[in-house]
Amino acid sequence: MANARALDKRRKSIRNIRKITRTMELIATARYKKAMDRAHAATAYTDQLTKIVSQLAAAGLQVSHPLLEQRPETNHARMLVLTSNRGLCGGYNGSVLREVMPRIAELRENIPDVVVDCSGKRGIDGLAFRGVETDQQFRNFEDQPAFDEVDKIASHYLNLFITGKMDRLDIAYTKFISTSKQIAKVETLLPLASLDEGDDVGESGITEYEFLPSAESILEEIVPASFKARLFKCFLDAAVSEQVARMIAMKGATENAGDMIKQLSMTYNRARQGQITGEIMEIIGGVEALEG
Amino acid sequence: MSLRCIVVTPEKTELDCEANAINLPMFDGSLGVLPGRAPMIGRLGFGTLLLETAAGPQKYFVDGGFAQVEDNVVNLLTERALPVDMLDVGESEKVLLEALELPSNTPELAAIKATAVLRARCQLRSAR
Repeated sequence: MANARALDKRRKSIRNIRKITRTMELIATARYKKAMDRAHAATAYTDQLTKIVSQLAAAGLQVSHPLLEQRPETNHARMLVLTSNRGLCGGYNGSVLREVMPRIAELRENIPDVVVDCSGKRGIDGLAFRGVETDQQFRNFEDQPAFDEVDKIASHYLNLFITGKMDRLDIAYTKFISTSKQIAKVETLLPLASLDEGDDVGESGITEYEFLPSAESILEEIVPASFKARLFKCFLDAAVSEQVARMIAMKGATENAGDMIKQLSMTYNRARQGQITGEIMEIIGGVEALEG
Repeated sequence: MSLRCIVVTPEKTELDCEANAINLPMFDGSLGVLPGRAPMIGRLGFGTLLLETAAGPQKYFVDGGFAQVEDNVVNLLTERALPVDMLDVGESEKVLLEALELPSNTPELAAIKATAVLRARCQLRSAR
């Protein structure tokens, strides 16, 4: 039989760990709600953008822009990987890296120059471990990515793309679909596949707008804005997904700790009972020996 | 009759209020909007957004974007909208100096520099 005191010690330490994981779960839940609110607030901007694009389309404008055009030859590609700075979030970082590695290999086969950028300490370390060099490293994104910071990265990419130093930009991140479903995904952001044209052209297309200075000029401006909004959306999605992943991982850990405590308590009680029985037997034995 | 002004940035809806008149900083100068204006979509420049509200004038620095006017609702999409008081002259001057340092050896780089300088100058003007 195991030593009752050792079992009790173990049980106590598990109880402490359970306290920690439960707190982390609560923190993750609070952060998730905040991140979710932010992601929700950001939709107002994208909605407005789509509305304007659909107005432009309704005005009979041919949608064409250098950022939308596929380059005839892709010589320089870039991949941006979005991961978290902190661990203890289950398979969140692992699934992004698992998605990214074959993609990088595939790109490297076809394109001479592939550069990988990474946001998040876990991703940087993970990529280094897998032998992938990262060019730019961002560690400043926590649960609430600020647009100003994303804007810097976006402008940098736009400049690279316009000056021809980059022909293609892919982004790997965890897309948030619902609280119970997030998928790691690789998407091509540049050249932009298309501007999301709203379906509500019919309803709002009745009004005739005056375009200042012209529809073309607005389009020229709206494409980069739409790229920035899309990149920002990826960061927000990644942040929300991270918190959800951590919440679920910590919930699992707390439950597991509870189960272990139950198991250990049972063993502990049995061990204690065994010890007491043994002691009683000894006493009875002693008494009987004295009587005899 | 009054106008409703909604300013949205990628992060959140910055402002949603009523105003009697709005002065928009368009790409080529300011544009006044009074109630009953015809529908319009326009490009914003960098500059000061002026709202004439019942409580007095309100000023915001707007960082490019678009304006949409329809049915007495003015929608502004911009990357950044700050109350003018939040701008700092010293910091704006620093941004301008940084912009002036940018390289301009190719036409593309020159265009990028020109935008950065213009933006910094407008920010400085709003800050003052």
